[in-house]
Amino acid sequence: MHRVHLRDFEGPLDLLLFFIRRDEVDVYDIPIARIADEYLEAVRLMQRLDLDEAAEFIYTAALLIQIKARMLLPRPPAEDGEEPEDPRAELVQRLLEYIQYREAGEQIGEQFEERQRRFTRGAANDERARLGPAEDEVTYRASVFDLLSALGAALERTVQASAVIHHDVVRETVHVDEQKDWLIARLTDASEPVTFRALAESRTKEWVIATFLAVLDLLRHQRLALRLGIEPEDFALEIPTATPHEHAALAA
Amino acid sequence: MEPVSPDRVSDAPDDRFDQSVEALIFASDVPLRDEDVARAIGEVTGADTTLEDIVAAVERLNAAYRATGRAFRVEQWGGGYRLATIPEQAGVVRALFEQEAEKRLSRSLLETLAVIAYKQPVTKPEIEHVRGVGADYALRQLMERGFVDVVGRADAIGRPLLYGTTDRFLDQFGLGDLSDLPTPREVEEILADPRFSRERAQLLAEWAADNQPPPPPADSSEPVGTRLRVVVSSDSPPTPSEADDADG
Repeated sequence: MHRVHLRDFEGPLDLLLFFIRRDEVDVYDIPIARIADEYLEAVRLMQRLDLDEAAEFIYTAALLIQIKARMLLPRPPAEDGEEPEDPRAELVQRLLEYIQYREAGEQIGEQFEERQRRFTRGAANDERARLGPAEDEVTYRASVFDLLSALGAALERTVQASAVIHHDVVRETVHVDEQKDWLIARLTDASEPVTFRALAESRTKEWVIATFLAVLDLLRHQRLALRLGIEPEDFALEIPTATPHEHAALAA
Repeated sequence: MEPVSPDRVSDAPDDRFDQSVEALIFASDVPLRDEDVARAIGEVTGADTTLEDIVAAVERLNAAYRATGRAFRVEQWGGGYRLATIPEQAGVVRALFEQEAEKRLSRSLLETLAVIAYKQPVTKPEIEHVRGVGADYALRQLMERGFVDVVGRADAIGRPLLYGTTDRFLDQFGLGDLSDLPTPREVEEILADPRFSRERAQLLAEWAADNQPPPPPADSSEPVGTRLRVVVSSDSPPTPSEADDADG
């Protein structure tokens, strides 16, 4: 429950501001000793709960402690009648700047919400075009492990199959670019999605790896479409019938 | 904006011009700039169109829309004119687009965006200095949403990238150009704002609620304290002894 609350602080300055507001402290005259203690205590609590979150707060905690120490030291009287510099000055300056941007953030946030209540011509298309590729990417990313396990299974099969069939040792060179062309040609001819297993049937290890890399590259450029979930360690490929945008438009 | 004079005949030159402006803005699905309007009309009619002509036409169009209860207005966002539905109809349009909820931006994104918008062009370290936190994630998010882009490189050591806001930012925040950004209030004004203390009270309540320890057993003599020294009724100013600490 602490965790949720601590996430509400958008950073070390925000937390500092929280203590200042809560205690109704004058920003220009921060009781640094007390605030430093409170801040440190909060950071310790945070550290116990979530180290990652705490890291960014530790610097400010250290800064506060340093300022506290400097406040405790007797400051030499200024010789030329000038005010000696307040050890808090720089922190206060930063805090004041942050307060302004924090407020500006709130203001443009309101502006944004107001604007989102207005719809322009082409807004739907715009939105789909923008979201389309990103959604594809998410699906793709989630399936990399599936792809890898399919590669693993295919390689396993080449070892078994080649042990039986191939007796002559011929060094075969397979280029990824060639495999891309081959894949496109092979899949354009096919009337339905072809599984990677079928494609890799009794091929050499080099061939399977080069073809797999070709598949990855073609997927990245969306020249191939991927079908997963046919078998646990396999996937099927086909030539996409429509561009991603058209897909999105059709699906919507 | 002045209301339309109702006595104009429908084939008056003004009407034709207004219709052209209206047609152009209607047909465009991106913000339509003044010069595009002038160029298109000029190509067909050979007439010169001034900025004032367009502004006046837009005002007349909006007045007519308002007078006849139309559900859209011409707005000047992102450096050009757009037709936009009125906020009162947000509900139905949103339902059409099947948007589940109102789109919102997190506070950290808004703060980062504010720093970039007001300070641009600005480097990542400068952004991070203002907020005291790393800006990688927020920057990536903002760039993905098309609100922010790299606008150049600073002349400093290492030539760090400079970031700035995009036209899409202006459009999506309902701004004509950067001068339409709300003027930031002076710090004194913010600090004196009653909202500041209202928010303080709210923060306090939330903080206290979240840090409330479970009720102690009846026989416990332990004080019900929290580690964070939350005092629910701390409306009193800091005690003098505590304040003195600071000046120590």
